[in-house]
Amino acid sequence: MTGGLQRVASTVLLVVVSFMLTALILWVSGYRVGTVLSGIIQGSITATGAATSTIRWTIPLLLIGLGVVIGFRAGFFNIGGQGQFYVGACSALVVSLGWREGPVPLVIMCGMIAAILAGMAWSLLPGYLRVQFGTDEVLTTLMMSFIGALVLQYLTAGPLRNPSGTGQTAASERIPEAFRITDSSGVSVTALLLVGGVAVLVWLLLERTRFGLTMTLVGRNPTMARWQGIDVRRVGLGTFALSGALSGLAGAVELHGPGARLVTGFSPEVGFTAVVVALVGMLSVWGTVVAAVFFGGLQSAILFLPIVTDLPPPALVLLHGMVAFLVTIKFRAVRRRRAGLAAKPVVG
Amino acid sequence: MTVPSGPASAEVPAVRCRSLGVSFGTVQALHDISLDLAAGRIHALVGQNGAGKTTLAKALGGLQAPDNGTVCIAGNQIPPGDVRAAKSAGLAMVHQHFSLPPSFTVAEALELTAARPESHSVYRRTELYRRWQNEVAEVGGTNVLATRIRDLPVETRQSLEIVRALVSEARILLLDEPTALLTPAATDTLFERLRGLRDDGVTILIVLHKLREVAAVADTVSVLRDGKLVLGPSEISGVSQGQLSDAIVGPAPDADRAIAVEAAANAEQQLLLELVRVSSRESAFEPGLASIDLAVEAREIVGIAGVEGNGQRSLVSVIAGLSAVTEGSVLLGGEEMTSAPPARRRLRGLRLVPFDRNSEGISRSAPLWLNQSALRLIGRRRQFPLISLRQYKRQASEAMDLWQVRYNTVAQPAESLSGGNVQRLVLSRELASGLEVLVAAQPTRGLDFSATNFVRSSLRGLRDAGAGVLLVSSDLDELFELSDRLLVMYGGSIVARFNAPYDRQAVGDAMTGALR
Ligand SMILES: Nc1ncnc2c1ncn2[C@@H]1O[C@H](COP(=O)(O)OP(=O)(O)OP(=O)(O)O)[C@@H](O)[C@H]1O
Ligand SMILES: [Mg+2]
Repeated sequence: MTGGLQRVASTVLLVVVSFMLTALILWVSGYRVGTVLSGIIQGSITATGAATSTIRWTIPLLLIGLGVVIGFRAGFFNIGGQGQFYVGACSALVVSLGWREGPVPLVIMCGMIAAILAGMAWSLLPGYLRVQFGTDEVLTTLMMSFIGALVLQYLTAGPLRNPSGTGQTAASERIPEAFRITDSSGVSVTALLLVGGVAVLVWLLLERTRFGLTMTLVGRNPTMARWQGIDVRRVGLGTFALSGALSGLAGAVELHGPGARLVTGFSPEVGFTAVVVALVGMLSVWGTVVAAVFFGGLQSAILFLPIVTDLPPPALVLLHGMVAFLVTIKFRAVRRRRAGLAAKPVVG
Repeated sequence: MTVPSGPASAEVPAVRCRSLGVSFGTVQALHDISLDLAAGRIHALVGQNGAGKTTLAKALGGLQAPDNGTVCIAGNQIPPGDVRAAKSAGLAMVHQHFSLPPSFTVAEALELTAARPESHSVYRRTELYRRWQNEVAEVGGTNVLATRIRDLPVETRQSLEIVRALVSEARILLLDEPTALLTPAATDTLFERLRGLRDDGVTILIVLHKLREVAAVADTVSVLRDGKLVLGPSEISGVSQGQLSDAIVGPAPDADRAIAVEAAANAEQQLLLELVRVSSRESAFEPGLASIDLAVEAREIVGIAGVEGNGQRSLVSVIAGLSAVTEGSVLLGGEEMTSAPPARRRLRGLRLVPFDRNSEGISRSAPLWLNQSALRLIGRRRQFPLISLRQYKRQASEAMDLWQVRYNTVAQPAESLSGGNVQRLVLSRELASGLEVLVAAQPTRGLDFSATNFVRSSLRGLRDAGAGVLLVSSDLDELFELSDRLLVMYGGSIVARFNAPYDRQAVGDAMTGALR
């Protein structure tokens, strides 16, 4: 499998180049690159709690990133994970706050199901527009993302606002402590099992089921798929639903895990970073797992760095941006070479 | 070494290659090829599917860097795999797979590849159209100029590729199976033009499958077998048809293979496919169907003749369930299917060989096994959701072996197959179990001689096993040989029905609408 190895190598190279470019910019701006690098390593691995924090950030990135992978398999670019994540978290919050007296496992389960349904709905609307009218899903999922952020803002500032809260940013009430699956570190056996289970299920779906193979055919050549009797429209809707479901689930895990309450504009980048995670993971399930851990580490380092350097946090976001930029160029080049992916309505 | 450009002198071969070798992974596609193509002549290149014809043409044209060996054009050595050098040495190619940019309009594409583009850098559409009007008149009328390449039917695209090469004022033309998609009349016209070019000193290499066509147009012939040059270039007059086909097939030709396809038709059902007064909307390049009545019974092959673009495409896609019926009804096995989705028709035993194998028949970037298994993905909702890839791959490789598809591994992408092998892949999927009625559009297009025979005997075998076959072809000989009944389409309707023995003259008249 030299072809596969080559692709892995080129992706790794790309990440290394991004690191070097970022280091160059930092160096030119007068920072000590060595300190920053060691800060990154401390902040993601060696410092107390750093590894836990890395995993904490890996979890939402992985769940949303797998949703992106699913979309891509069938040729759809669902980049609205952020909004789907928010509405998922909001739905779970409503369940938890509305049913405080309910049996714990049942409430958590219902919260997750509600989050999944909400994420699905948020993704299905652009999905429907795509298969029915050929509306470019990149635009519509992104727009839906903004609406999702506003929904969150409305709920946390309005109906679900914690009246006793004092902070400048609006936040909801906390859910009962019993409804949480992790402490505030965001890592627990339950959470890891859940996310690991989801990754295995997604892998099985994509690689070992008829539906997964169908998605691959639709993604690569919808015309041929149609001639083969595949219902391209149904596959498209199913894909959008699944991919939204995962982002919604990520929202529920966030709420029942480290969050416990919702704050306006929390984790503002996960949904977008997750797209980069999927691309760096070369749109394969296990690649995405590796990339999610990597970006989880970076996220954790971003939060840690102010402790050891005077580097402003955006400096590391620069690294994100750099990877995103390069990986997109690489991906666009591949996508160009594959014909027939231009936005077109799905007929028949 | 400097050689003046301009017409190559007779002594220097227009194209010369020495010890050319090309391999893809473990497949040796070309093996130590040394070849001289004399200037100002038409050279035919023949060989079985996968023999290496396309690879050789690409290597000569600088599109495929050889592993070893050299290519000289008009005496100048071309750096390996340098298309620009080959182009500026006066060489142009017509590809078996299309190369014009799909999102360009026809006029834009022609201007882009023209030998002498207009000198200014800003174009006006009307001017562009005026400039290319005459060139495309015979291809599809001047209204194709504004059409995007990707929206053209394959036949028109093929003709355009040829037009593009001819207007490029090249001194050396490499044509890879240019006749595969042409009607006999268009083939004659093309040959006429090629002879004219030759008389003006242009050197031509043309890849062909039909020996009849070789005899009609070529001055010399060369044969490739398994990547080796086994004959030629020899004067066409010095080689008999027998010698030629022996050279193509080799010392151990396949025995006449038996057809292992079985039809699933049940004995009671006689009428397998029925169209009752079916009409459909017209598409960009074809009239819609106009009240078509058609029936295919068990144990018969019904042929559809007609000049390309008279509704054959609409007919096939209406039967497939891919374009809507505006009036009338479609029945499969006696079951009403007028608005049934394609999947239900497939499950009812409908099998399809589409017109455009590269976009409708296969997914080029998907692995072979997935292309081969596509039909197993539909309509099995009650089965256990997890599947065994190993079983899928094994069944795919068995089916492809039966059809003698030449491939390396089942995981390679379908686009790495040679043109004829892609067609075999499609046939290996469609002409398999569960078939009740087959709609085959140009099933032997691009196949070599023995594969063509195999397909034809398979169609007969299917019929004898109880299936119904609707055969759409532009090859009258094929239709006459196979069809139990023959219908002629013109302008979206069936204008004539014939029974064997067929009268070529009468069928021809019907095709041109003389009977209307
Ligand atoms: N990109 C590729 N990767 C792997 N194998 C390839 C590739 N291109 C060609 N081949 C193999 O090289 C061999 C020669 O292919 P080629 O396309 O030259 O055949 P051909 O003579 O043109 O056949 P046809 O009549 O079917 O067009 C085939 O076995 C084919 O599978
Ligand atoms: Mg070829």
